[in-house]
Amino acid sequence: MEVEQKMPAANTQRSVRQNGNPDPARSREASANGSAGVVLKVEHLSKTFGNFQAVDNLSFSVSEGEFIGIIGPNGAGKTTTIYMLLGLITPSAGDIRIFGRKLVENREHILQRTSFASPYISFPPRLTVEENLTIFARLYGVRDKSSQLSKLLKMFEIENLRDKPVSRLSSGENTRLGLCKAMINNPRLLLLDEPTAFLDPQAALNVKGVLLDLQRSSRTTIIYTSHNLADVEAMCQRLIFLSHGRMIAAGSPIEVTQEILREDRREPALAEAFLRIGKGEPNEAV
Amino acid sequence: MKPYRIGAVVVRHAYEARHNLDRVTDTLYWPVMDIIVWGFFTLYLARDNRLQPGLVSFLLGGVILWGMFRSFQRDMAAGFLAELWSRNLVNLFSTPLTVSEYMTGLIAVNLIKALLGTLAAGLVAWLCYSYDIFPAFPALLPFMLNLVLFGLAVGIVITGLIFRYTMRIQGLTWSFTALLMPLSCVFYPVRSLPKTLRLLALILPTSHAFEGMRQAMAGGGFSAGHFVWGAALNAIYMVLALFFFRLMFASAQSRGLLVKLE
Repeated sequence: MEVEQKMPAANTQRSVRQNGNPDPARSREASANGSAGVVLKVEHLSKTFGNFQAVDNLSFSVSEGEFIGIIGPNGAGKTTTIYMLLGLITPSAGDIRIFGRKLVENREHILQRTSFASPYISFPPRLTVEENLTIFARLYGVRDKSSQLSKLLKMFEIENLRDKPVSRLSSGENTRLGLCKAMINNPRLLLLDEPTAFLDPQAALNVKGVLLDLQRSSRTTIIYTSHNLADVEAMCQRLIFLSHGRMIAAGSPIEVTQEILREDRREPALAEAFLRIGKGEPNEAV
Repeated sequence: MKPYRIGAVVVRHAYEARHNLDRVTDTLYWPVMDIIVWGFFTLYLARDNRLQPGLVSFLLGGVILWGMFRSFQRDMAAGFLAELWSRNLVNLFSTPLTVSEYMTGLIAVNLIKALLGTLAAGLVAWLCYSYDIFPAFPALLPFMLNLVLFGLAVGIVITGLIFRYTMRIQGLTWSFTALLMPLSCVFYPVRSLPKTLRLLALILPTSHAFEGMRQAMAGGGFSAGHFVWGAALNAIYMVLALFFFRLMFASAQSRGLLVKLE
């Protein structure tokens, strides 16, 4: 619940940074749902697999246009949380509301404007890049498929791969194809699981630029998991730090650093905080 | 259900067929090979008038219709397995695509494939063995429909099992119909089975379909009884299959298997 208390501060910071004008249609919908600005609200979310507690009583909310990082060691519950937000895993307890609606009752409506990318998920290998993207454009009912495809391929600098079968792509090219897929429906909420994994520094820089531009120009809400703490510090306004399924710290990178290290730091030091948690030192639960 | 999302599933499999020779093999090669082998066998039997009248029709008709049932059942589960093998399941189900839309798309694809396979087998039988199944098609259509429906129900159950028990049991996709074949009485009448097995045979829509087929081919006309029995059994099996599938899918979602099937 501590995250909830921190929200106003994060929102203030956000509203100072944001220069784009909010989409009137989106604002109208948010107002109609009585949740102006809040895109995602998670309350007391838990997931157990047998005796293993993957996610434990997680609560947080995310506002429109926020760039949130979910970080934590392997097995912390990051990916399980993302999959629950997509309805791919049924929570053991708790409630997920996206765009003011319950996920469990409004899956189609929510996923029409939500998207997901992970470099660990693949595509049918014999199909070309264009064919794969065409399928997803059709699934989302995108009207001008051809121009949307061209725009995305250009954005992620893979226009030359249009007719190449996925089986012949490198890992980095496959990651960028996943990102094209994730943006094909112009999502309002974008869930990204380690989106810069397998990318060379130049491609990673391009992807980060595209994501920041998308957030600023379209007020897309982005939830980002990564082990690249430098990326997380640079891109995310707010972080949720998970360990053993529990939220152990939340706030801006500097706030998370201070909360975990229990020291008055002037610069974020997430790597240090990460190592502290890895060693099982104090402050394991908030 | 949104038609454009069902269309996307159909397009996905059309692209696969364009690039993957295995899909063409499944659709055309096996039905044609079956009819060639059985065609030679009937020619051999016919040589010294060792055949009862109409037996060639029963055998070749059985091969064609069983091939249609087998391929429909197999391709329902194999279509789903294709997503698992390509690790595409999370991509698909993180879109608004619903399970019903996905299954409807698969059914549409497999209907086309089964129809192509049946036509190819029928054409080979006609060209090579002068056996023309096409005039009998109107009388056989109701029974073909029952075979397709039962193939669909079995395919749905196997797909549900794969959702729940993952690729460990993918072999069922190809082997399950073999289990049904002896009791389906594809090449012999139900009365030729031992008494205890007859009861089991009669609770399968397939045995009613093949009994109906034989009656139609022997000039006995359309067997309303076998058709109604088959349709009623199919209705029961379809309801049970859908209920079972929902149970398996919910269990897979709860256990996180949808994302671990990859």
